[in-house]
Amino acid sequence: MNAIRQLELDHMKKDLPDFSIGDTVKVSYKIREGQKERVQVFQGTIISIKGGGIRRTLKVRRIVQGEGVERTFPLHSPKLAEIEVTRSGKVRRSKLYYLRQRVGKGTRVRQDFAKDSRRAQANQAAKKAVQAPAPTSAPEATGADE
Amino acid sequence: MTIGILGKKLGMTQIFKEDGEVVPVTVVQAGPCRVLQVKVKDLDELPEEHRKASVNKGKKKGKTERNRRADGYYAVQLGFDERPAKNAKKPTAGHAAKAGVEGGKDFYYVREMRYESKPELETGGQVTVGDLEELKLVDVTGITKGRGWAGTIKRWNFARQPMSHGTKKCHRHMGGTGRTYSTAKGIPKGKKMMGHYGVDRVTIQNLELVAVDKERNLLLIRGAVPGHNQGYLTIRKAIKSR
Repeated sequence: MNAIRQLELDHMKKDLPDFSIGDTVKVSYKIREGQKERVQVFQGTIISIKGGGIRRTLKVRRIVQGEGVERTFPLHSPKLAEIEVTRSGKVRRSKLYYLRQRVGKGTRVRQDFAKDSRRAQANQAAKKAVQAPAPTSAPEATGADE
Repeated sequence: MTIGILGKKLGMTQIFKEDGEVVPVTVVQAGPCRVLQVKVKDLDELPEEHRKASVNKGKKKGKTERNRRADGYYAVQLGFDERPAKNAKKPTAGHAAKAGVEGGKDFYYVREMRYESKPELETGGQVTVGDLEELKLVDVTGITKGRGWAGTIKRWNFARQPMSHGTKKCHRHMGGTGRTYSTAKGIPKGKKMMGHYGVDRVTIQNLELVAVDKERNLLLIRGAVPGHNQGYLTIRKAIKSR
């Protein structure tokens, strides 16, 4: 089992941001149209995180024109370009499937202000590191947060 | 150049291709294998010093020499997964020692690879996953998982009988076997029936070799292979590939 875990680590992304159930995220996903490739952004609430290791997937729900839309993203797929957390949610269960029954105001998730302010601070610190780069550590800092 | 290698099934996982396609793979720990013996068709292909055997004909006649017999076919005998000396069997440990294995060890898994002509490998040589790097398709042989005594539905993919509409305690039975009357021969031989299922030697042909990890001695083979995890496998170059 260990050898398989090691092998999976080789193919897994190491620079994923810290997110959890109930967070609002912007997921950038590469889409192929004929020969061209473009990035599509899907913004919504994380309602489920499933699978371990390289099989981990993210289910994101949003309301488009009054209709609920859910997309499942394989976290470690090369097609998933970026995940950005825009708002942290405070929830008390690991799967938010109850949101499917809700409409209008009921679909909102309580915001976790403490977490959001912590993240904002971290982002600012990272930005500072980019603005005043130490010659050796700067490239790493940009790669990890951008 | 080897035509195959011995290995151990570690389990399954998935990897992503560059375009995002998910590839289900079986991870196989393969090699390094020791070449225990090279079998040859004719006597004159053996090294000079191995062609004669000494025979003890008893007290009066003493020792004489006779020609050894060749194996009659070409093959390479590989050993995989060293067994420590305290558990090794003496005859096999002696055989392994001839191939240069030190410390009285032998191997848990020993198999032959048949060749058309004289193999280029030498006794005592090593076969590693690096030798398979150019292969695209492989045949994988293993022992399937045991299912014990299984009914016809699991064993032969028979259909189930209705669960309702008057069916009485006959939902997973095999149904008729034919031959109600007018034949003395009874049920034909080989009629598919319930019985022991699994623990069979099975070869799956033309599996794609997705990747070779030389550092960790791993092969990534697309799809499933026979047997449980930690089961031994023989991986050969696909005989039907061109």
